[in-house]
Amino acid sequence: MKDLLRLRTSLTEEIETLLNEQIKVEAHSSSVYLAMSSWCNRNGFDNSADYFQKQSGEEREHMLKLFGFINDMGGRAISPEVTNIPQEFESFRAVFETALQQEIYVTQQFNRIADRCFKAKDFMSFQFIQWFLKEQIEEEYIARRALELFDVIGEEGTGRWEIDKQVPKIKYEN
Amino acid sequence: MAKPACKNLEEIFRTPHGAVYQCNRANCFWLEFAGGISAFKASDFLHLKKQVEQIDVPEMVQNTARMADIVILNPFRSERCFVLTVTDVLNLRELLQGAKVMLDLNSMLYDCLHAMAV
Repeated sequence: MKDLLRLRTSLTEEIETLLNEQIKVEAHSSSVYLAMSSWCNRNGFDNSADYFQKQSGEEREHMLKLFGFINDMGGRAISPEVTNIPQEFESFRAVFETALQQEIYVTQQFNRIADRCFKAKDFMSFQFIQWFLKEQIEEEYIARRALELFDVIGEEGTGRWEIDKQVPKIKYEN
Repeated sequence: MAKPACKNLEEIFRTPHGAVYQCNRANCFWLEFAGGISAFKASDFLHLKKQVEQIDVPEMVQNTARMADIVILNPFRSERCFVLTVTDVLNLRELLQGAKVMLDLNSMLYDCLHAMAV
């Protein structure tokens, strides 16, 4: 008997579902970053607003990369529904704390997917996920460094203005 | 219902409520359920299975509204329309999940046999 499932796709149902869930996570992240950009803009943090807008674009690119992969492998990529995007934040610092928490969550999700791919012996998807894991090193580093600026510079006086100036300069060199 | 008369059809899974066949000529699946039989492409078949699995059966049981007693599924690229009661949902779910297990088993056998042949 022909293996019709394998002829259609090389993705198992489980991996396809996980990747589609990740598409949703990336889309959500992209929208949250956009909300952060708006908040920063409203509150006079122009550089951080640009930074978050750029981050939002990157998350969308990640989403599209996953989207393309699922379709290329014969799967069914699902355009995600994005809801519950916070539009208000407690403070300038809280914005960056939320950003870091978000990146940590994304890393956890990719670790989980990599684990499932490995267990399912789906090494093509496992290989594909490596790129995202590498990317997460940079994403977490930048988010953590940005938050550390609040301790290093301090928020008193012109502190927040200085932090806003330094945020776009954070680079991951390795 | 008897198995459709076509030599390219292979029975994949059967329950007292229906059966799933694979057509090796047209590369599709035939679903026999509730007195009807209809063809689905592999991706549509898997999507139907997902749709049936996503039906909230506890909600159907608990909700006293009359409209909550049935679920209507209109699969794309199919003339078939499924009007399902709670029992139908459970029966169809059992049939589709059983068929999926058999298809997965077939994939595993392919993997093993290919590994042995190389």
